[in-house]
Amino acid sequence: MNNIAIYDELDQAIDQLLAGQPNELGTSSEAAANDAHAAHSDVRELAELARDLRDLPRANFQSRLRLELEWEAAGRAVTSDVDSRQRAAEVMPSLLGKRWSGYPVRRSNFALSAALHALMVLAIGAGFVAVKNMGPQVDKHVEISYRLAPYVPPLGKDESHGGGSGGAADKLPPSHGAVRAAREQLAPPIALENNAEPKLRVESTVIAPPELNALKTRQPGDPLSMLAKPSNGAGIHGGMGGHDGTGIGTGSGPGIGNGRGGGCCEGTYAIGNGVSMPRAIYTPEPEFSEEARRVKLQGDVTLLATIGADGRPRNLLVVRSLGMGLDERALAAVNTWRFEPARKDGHPVAVQMNIIVNFHLY
Amino acid sequence: MNQERRLIEAAQSDPSRFAELYEGNFHRVYAFVARRVDSRDEAQDITAEVFHQALRNLGRFQWRGVPFAAWLLRIAANALADRWQRAGRAVEVPADEAEMKNEVAHGDAADVERRAMLFQLVDRLPADQRLVIQRRFVEQKSVREIAQELGRSEGAVKQLQFRALETLRSHVRTSHE
Repeated sequence: MNNIAIYDELDQAIDQLLAGQPNELGTSSEAAANDAHAAHSDVRELAELARDLRDLPRANFQSRLRLELEWEAAGRAVTSDVDSRQRAAEVMPSLLGKRWSGYPVRRSNFALSAALHALMVLAIGAGFVAVKNMGPQVDKHVEISYRLAPYVPPLGKDESHGGGSGGAADKLPPSHGAVRAAREQLAPPIALENNAEPKLRVESTVIAPPELNALKTRQPGDPLSMLAKPSNGAGIHGGMGGHDGTGIGTGSGPGIGNGRGGGCCEGTYAIGNGVSMPRAIYTPEPEFSEEARRVKLQGDVTLLATIGADGRPRNLLVVRSLGMGLDERALAAVNTWRFEPARKDGHPVAVQMNIIVNFHLY
Repeated sequence: MNQERRLIEAAQSDPSRFAELYEGNFHRVYAFVARRVDSRDEAQDITAEVFHQALRNLGRFQWRGVPFAAWLLRIAANALADRWQRAGRAVEVPADEAEMKNEVAHGDAADVERRAMLFQLVDRLPADQRLVIQRRFVEQKSVREIAQELGRSEGAVKQLQFRALETLRSHVRTSHE
């Protein structure tokens, strides 16, 4: 029997062993020739060896178990009180050094870990409490105040809201009087009429908001003039003033005031000279924006507002910005404010004024 | 002083030294257990249980001249008995624990030693022969599958298998002599 045949025969015997079948090598080899008999007994002997190899442990089992034992031994080296550990192990096995989840735990490490976790939980809890309590505390460090100031129109004709002038080339400046405001002008106001008996009399007006008619008196003239003697002023084109136009004032055009073109002060009074200051009666505070709070931005936001005769703010404009959302907060808040309106001769009138909202952190 | 006794005392004072006792007795305990259970997994489980238990109770071990292996095999016998008792299994085992311990002490000690040595010798085989033995007997793969895995012919694998067994037989004979 050659080697290949022996290899095959052994392999077949092993196949039978692994399949759980009885090994028949012994019976078949008895009648064979001497060499074949020797080969058979050789194979049978090896097959017997192979029978025991069926129980061979897995390749890594021995090393894995050793690793487990080394872990356990490392855990056990920490403590030697076996009985007390076994008694309490059911309560908290890892704390007392019992193997858990495949690896041992040192008691000191476990206790340290538990303490750190407890500290973390406390820190997180404290954080929640702090955040909850910090909201109002932060608000206590925020002061939002406001003050009201008369609106002073800027100088210069370009920036004026309206204005007018005129005159009849008189030597005197325009005389004191009142204006009749209308949305259109049919005839300019004049103090001295050349034609005392016109065939068709029309009212002389300036182009300005009709609300200004509260100023109406018998004699047309410049309300700011101190001159009592009637005069149309040194201007030209038929109004009252020193310049060009058909209005009244020091500007030009058909309006009133020191500006250009028609209109006046958007139909509002200037505070002072008999016009009282509006008084704020309902002033909910604006909120501090989070962005501004984060960067500790503070300062004033100045708003230009028209406080109507009904006490409501209108035409809010930011004339001095602070940014970081504070302008918007100021606008939103002031828009809800209510005022006791300014008064002129006992009557409520609209005025323009500045509202300065102060955002302060401390 | 006896070498084994020194190892035991060293392990009792320093459990990390237990590894030396483990290495010297692993195959013996495994061979004893594997002979008495049906599956390799069960044999491995019980073997692991025996050594964990031995490590835990090493402090209680008292040297009386009895080999440490006997103590381990007693633990193994008890573990087997407990397992069979829990499973309510009717198996061909000694009727009571005393009988089992007696068998451990006197019965198949030689067989256990022979099988333990055989398992140990597998670890000393040349790498290619050891690989073939592991694939063939542990994973129970066919020669064809092993040949495909190793990229060799079936004849070459059969030859490796034959030589591995021959080498094992040779070592076993040598050790018996």
